[in-house]
Amino acid sequence: MAAEDLPSEFDVVLVGTGLTESVVAAACARVGQRVLHLDTRTYYASKWASFTLNALLTWIDERQSPSDEVQDWSGLLQDGEEPICLSNADSASIRNVQVFCFARSAGDAEKAGPEPPRPLEAAGGKKMTFAHLLKEGRRFNIDLVSKLMYARGSLVDLLIKSNVSRYAEFKNVTRVLTYRHGNVEQVPCSRADVFASRRLSMVEKRKLMRFLASCVEEKEEEELEGELAEFLRDQQLGDNLQHFLLHSIAMVTEDTPTRDGLASTRHFLRCLGCYGNTPFLFPVYGLGEIPQCFCRMCAVFGGVYCLRHPVSCLLLDKTANRCTALIDGRGQRIASSHFVLEEGCFYVKTLPRLSSCRSISRGVLITNRSILPGDQHQVSVVTIPSLEVGLPAVRMVELSPSTMTCAPGTYLVHLTCQSQLGSAYEDLWPVVTRMFNTAQSCDQDSRPDVLWCFYFNMDDGGAGAESDGDRLPSNVYVCSGPDAELGHERAIKQAEAIFRKIVPDQDFCPPAPNPEDILYDADDPEDPANTMDKRDKDEEPAELQEQQLQVEE
Amino acid sequence: MAIRELKVCLLGDTGVGKSSIVCRFVQDHFDHNISPTIGASFLTKTVPSGSELHKFLIWDTAGQERFHSLAPMYYRGSAAAVIVYDITKLDSFQTLKKWVKELKEHGPEDIVVAIAGNKNDLGDIREVPMKEAKEFAESIAAIFIETSARNAVNVEELFQKISKQIPPLDNPDVESTESFKLTRQPAASTRRCC
Repeated sequence: MAAEDLPSEFDVVLVGTGLTESVVAAACARVGQRVLHLDTRTYYASKWASFTLNALLTWIDERQSPSDEVQDWSGLLQDGEEPICLSNADSASIRNVQVFCFARSAGDAEKAGPEPPRPLEAAGGKKMTFAHLLKEGRRFNIDLVSKLMYARGSLVDLLIKSNVSRYAEFKNVTRVLTYRHGNVEQVPCSRADVFASRRLSMVEKRKLMRFLASCVEEKEEEELEGELAEFLRDQQLGDNLQHFLLHSIAMVTEDTPTRDGLASTRHFLRCLGCYGNTPFLFPVYGLGEIPQCFCRMCAVFGGVYCLRHPVSCLLLDKTANRCTALIDGRGQRIASSHFVLEEGCFYVKTLPRLSSCRSISRGVLITNRSILPGDQHQVSVVTIPSLEVGLPAVRMVELSPSTMTCAPGTYLVHLTCQSQLGSAYEDLWPVVTRMFNTAQSCDQDSRPDVLWCFYFNMDDGGAGAESDGDRLPSNVYVCSGPDAELGHERAIKQAEAIFRKIVPDQDFCPPAPNPEDILYDADDPEDPANTMDKRDKDEEPAELQEQQLQVEE
Repeated sequence: MAIRELKVCLLGDTGVGKSSIVCRFVQDHFDHNISPTIGASFLTKTVPSGSELHKFLIWDTAGQERFHSLAPMYYRGSAAAVIVYDITKLDSFQTLKKWVKELKEHGPEDIVVAIAGNKNDLGDIREVPMKEAKEFAESIAAIFIETSARNAVNVEELFQKISKQIPPLDNPDVESTESFKLTRQPAASTRRCC
């Protein structure tokens, strides 16, 4: 079947389907902009993508042979235009990829680990082989980015406000854990947890409750000089509570200023009890679903989607300092008023990257049991303070099969930290050998076995300064990649800022009409969702189309 | 009667009448001018099935199939898929196999598959013999039916057939681990944090 040509004129063209680009796409289409959303890759969500195990192995193999041929489309240039070449190579921002397999190989063997493979017992007593993992490979959804959603964070707010939330389902993160004195411990964070905790004395329980209650109120500014660690010591809370509060609730390091530390403590507390007894949510099937949900919203409002679509260059009108069109890999000229591109599209000579000096170290492990066995459906976030001087503090998220991100009988463990030693393997290996049983450590204990693991470094999207965009034409916007933070605040904030530059006078992601809502809200005229729907009906042609198709039972 | 929500995803080439079939089923309405790209994000209709009520949540492709860019999230948790082709366009039947493959790769393992040959009111310009399509459907254990969204032929029947094939809930007690949807949050008074 011959590939159809794309339409050649749009209001907004986006390249890259990461979270930021996808939110901008949905927001623009929602208010009637004509949107074209391209990705050079074969899959959605760019650096925010998730893969089945089999797809991940293919991805690892293929990224070793990047292709970035430069073609000459100078014949397509009009008077006064100059090309800004774009890169299609995805490899530069992901480095130091290392894969180890410790599961027993069987039959048509594969990549063997550094040690002789040996059998491992999976839950249920069955022997778990690499072949078995591959056979169950499609049950894995392995995210390149590991984050959680704060129950009252800006991503959750946006999903709800825009009704994009209807496209996905979520799980509560059920436990906040920490690693101390060689043991994994549960951090009591809700009132129920605190009182149920057997680790805390009665006095500690009272102190903790009093401290948390006092945190909820904003403090006078002058009380907050100095560092949080010191501030906590002054409260005479004791070692246990100081550790919990600093590492697991504020989730900061020893030298974080008190003001910032207390702000993140408050954010943590504000998010508690909204959905479950931790402040965090995780999307079923993994984080890679979220950009896809925003892309769907964009498509519902007329956005045109095209994956595996190479791009060649932007055409710059030098006198106006604006881009007029994008030339794609096939030489088609696509005119647009605005261009939104992921950072990786630009060559370093066009857009120097401050971010390249900082990177995120990531590790992904497939294990055979939980690091703190309990109810089998646990989803845990684990804060691991620096094991020794010079090693980074590491954040771990352990996902059970109930999140649909790993096969029954396995757990998927994500490790994330700011890179300190250069490669992800060097940064994370000390934590992995202490907390897990690998072929390299002796197996006398109850620690989970690592069946397969994968390390890589990714550019830290939080490192670049916002003013990078000054060097670019006025109608070109850059989306930085994922940052090392736990939440999604930066990506959402950046998406909203870009949207405001493109369409300054429009609402950011107003609720999309939902047949369910209209019926349900019918007896409640006060509901803002309902009145919003009515107003939209008169304003937007896209909306009208959707309304016509709605149910009236 | 217990209501069961069942997600149904639609597949098939642009212009074969996916949106029209849903529109006929849900609203008993046929619109000649449905825009090819803009559809509802999903439509719902509840039908009785045995001792249960089946509430179909029918997802449209929203045009993402046009440049072969459907997202895997589109298939997540689907109880059934309806693959539509146009009986007057041999091409749309040829690519059916591609959609079946796509579904095998991305869809849930236990998904009920239905193949619908649409526009059977245009029998005089038919390009796809019914027998051939029926045999293909049998070879992949799929439901087969020819429909006309325009004349309201076999659209109800298509969904009845799907309803019948949905396996009964074997364990209603799994609720405790179930995932949830995010909705507008209750008023701040329900805060129970410490």
